[in-house]
Amino acid sequence: MREENLIVSVWRGDGEQGEYVDYRVPREESQTVLDVVTYIQRKIDPTLSYRFSCRVGMCGSCAMTVNGKPRWTCRTHVSKVAPDGKLSVGPLRIMNVVKDLSVEMSDFFEKWVRAEGRFHPTKTRYDDFDAIKPADNKRKIASAGIECIGCGICYSGCDVVAWKAEYLGPAALNRAWTLVNDVRDGGQIARLNAIAGDAGCHACHSQQGCVENCPKHLNPTASIAGLKRVTAFAALKGGLK
Amino acid sequence: MNITNLSTFTTDVLILGSGGAGLFGALHAVQGAPDLKITVAVKGLLGKSGCTRMVQGGYNVALAEGDSLERHFMDTIEGGKWINNQELSWILVKQAQVRIRELENELGCFFDRNPDGSIHQKAFAGQTFDRTVHKGDLTGIEIINRLAEQVWASGINRLEDHRAVALIKTADGSAISGVLMIDMRTGLFLFVKAKAVLVATGGGPTMYKYHTPSGDKSCDGLAMLLHAGLPLRDMEMVQFHPTGLVAGKDTRITGTIIEEGLRGFGGHLLAGDKERFMHNYDDREERATRDIVSRAMFTEMRSGNIGANGGLYITMKHLDNNEVRRLFKGMVERCADCGFDLISGDVEVVPTAHYMMGGVIFNQDCSTDIEGLFAAGEDTGGVHGANRLGGNGVANSTVFGGLAGDTIAKWTPYAGSHKDPDTDSIEAAISACCVPLTKKPGILEDIREKLHETMWEDAGIIRDAESLARSKEAVKTLDLELNEIGVNATNLAYNLTWHDWMNLKNLMLVSHAVIAAAEAREDSRGAHFRADFPETRHIQNSRFTKVTLSGSEIAVDTEAVQFTRVKPGETLLEVDAAE
Repeated sequence: MREENLIVSVWRGDGEQGEYVDYRVPREESQTVLDVVTYIQRKIDPTLSYRFSCRVGMCGSCAMTVNGKPRWTCRTHVSKVAPDGKLSVGPLRIMNVVKDLSVEMSDFFEKWVRAEGRFHPTKTRYDDFDAIKPADNKRKIASAGIECIGCGICYSGCDVVAWKAEYLGPAALNRAWTLVNDVRDGGQIARLNAIAGDAGCHACHSQQGCVENCPKHLNPTASIAGLKRVTAFAALKGGLK
Repeated sequence: MNITNLSTFTTDVLILGSGGAGLFGALHAVQGAPDLKITVAVKGLLGKSGCTRMVQGGYNVALAEGDSLERHFMDTIEGGKWINNQELSWILVKQAQVRIRELENELGCFFDRNPDGSIHQKAFAGQTFDRTVHKGDLTGIEIINRLAEQVWASGINRLEDHRAVALIKTADGSAISGVLMIDMRTGLFLFVKAKAVLVATGGGPTMYKYHTPSGDKSCDGLAMLLHAGLPLRDMEMVQFHPTGLVAGKDTRITGTIIEEGLRGFGGHLLAGDKERFMHNYDDREERATRDIVSRAMFTEMRSGNIGANGGLYITMKHLDNNEVRRLFKGMVERCADCGFDLISGDVEVVPTAHYMMGGVIFNQDCSTDIEGLFAAGEDTGGVHGANRLGGNGVANSTVFGGLAGDTIAKWTPYAGSHKDPDTDSIEAAISACCVPLTKKPGILEDIREKLHETMWEDAGIIRDAESLARSKEAVKTLDLELNEIGVNATNLAYNLTWHDWMNLKNLMLVSHAVIAAAEAREDSRGAHFRADFPETRHIQNSRFTKVTLSGSEIAVDTEAVQFTRVKPGETLLEVDAAE
């Protein structure tokens, strides 16, 4: 393979101050964007900060903005995003930058809680499993959205979150929708109240940025549309506060 | 550093780690004692750093008709080659039945079902019954996501991007006082004072050239436990998975798992010349057990019959493409994202270090010999013995994490007030971390690569007295070299290179523990293979190794295994039911 360099512009600084700095990184055949970032930290500038963990697309710690789009850097092959040999890598937008490429994700997790994105049990560890057929309609709907790993990519790419800071965002609402369809859950009314407000599902403009960006090919827009239908129906019946 | 300036954070309970053990510990502690202040500290983000999340296979538990606790137990003991602590193994199989229902009924996990709505249990290697509960091939994500969202909502404090560097005892050494940490975001030291501390950081044998765990793991818990004076058992037992991806130099994804099911489905392993070789080693060919396939591959690699990046190949191209795509969707996509074609190409693979069966000696209630210090999960030893069954790892972390939380909830309210730390220990630990900050900055890569190479070649899949002696000397030299390499200290905030240095320091110490234990075990069993002692010896008088740190030297001893429930050659199963 001929000697080739990538030109990589990397955000250096915190959320307030900083700049893109260029680095030259040797091109390797099976290189991902995370490998490029690692190369810079290990071999060019040891002060570069970024977060990563599993390195195979299971944890979502290494999400960054790559050539303008939010991506998992560990699963983004350089050849797919930098055909011209140029790469720009920045922190996820919307979230506060800790340093360089690492961001603070507390708001994202906090909104997950605010959307009642957790299971409310009706049974205990001493009871047996519910018999639920995988072919049941509600279960199929829940299963369609369940594999979200909470990487924050949809959230970072969502223009509504950018305009409206309190908007719960696609990931939290998608989780809420899986629970709305979970027949085992005992927190349905509280959840619908949690997601029906101004910061909830009705704030979504169905621009589908989340669908486009989701590395798991989930469809949060469809989940949110489902929540809109269910909350509208519940409001008509007088079930919501 | 003057420790009078040291920030202190006070909590009743401090949990180190946020995998299955840490998060279950936190939840059970808050359920059992809601008035306690509970804090989870983790090197990255809560729920994201940890190997439970990475579980693909599933969760072993005896549920179905025809299966039994005794059968799951016997599989675990036979797999562990009789050196397990049988009481811990019994707790594992028994509590797994409770924990799996807790995961489903209380946390909201939804495990795969049969068409009639009953729980699906799949076959997994080394077991006499199909007992592995799963969620597709992403079981760990389902478990950790559901745990994390409960913890987020529970009022438990989070110290994210916080690294634990030393377990600090009282001046008389009898009890825990707290943990010295570094707030990675600022680079400042922090003393977290706690009545109870749970070590649940996970193992993660990342000192080997090829390894599966998260890249930020570095045996921190094991290193801290050694420094705290506690004995680690079975450290020679490092499990290698036969197929890790090889993507060439400077690639993070190298070493990560290419799943076992591919070989089960009929995948072929090819040497560098693209010829099959497993028939030369075992009649079951590619379907032989993990240890046999790993050794065969290592032997082929040593003979020099290797691929472009030094590995061998796995191929599925002779099989039904559509079926491979359907059954192994996640693997096919993962390979494709990284430029490899698992459907019709040859994907380069190597055996890869996966799990440490060894760890701290602990009691059935997860307490240790230090008052107030508890441990659970891969930081502990004894549950799996000499080898771990696939599907028993997540059972271990969740079962014992929960038990640790139960114990902590009962114990902490009666623990009295917080205990003062031994300030000399804090000062010594801070100095040890700061060694590279006053030295001329250098590049750590050579040292890391040499450590990887040494452990892989001389203390890995096949060992003997000579190779172990060689690795011991090499690690000692590397450790001294590491001490002379500095880190740029102009800004310690989120200074990954400083943390890389500390990671390497911990890996060196734990490598010494692995080597010493491997030298002491002069037979082959489970994950440990000595070319100079290829047979399993003295099974009726089985002993386990115990490694301690005294001063700066690793000492090793052995102790007789107590066959408290069943002796080698016997079974708990009724004879006619055993087959």
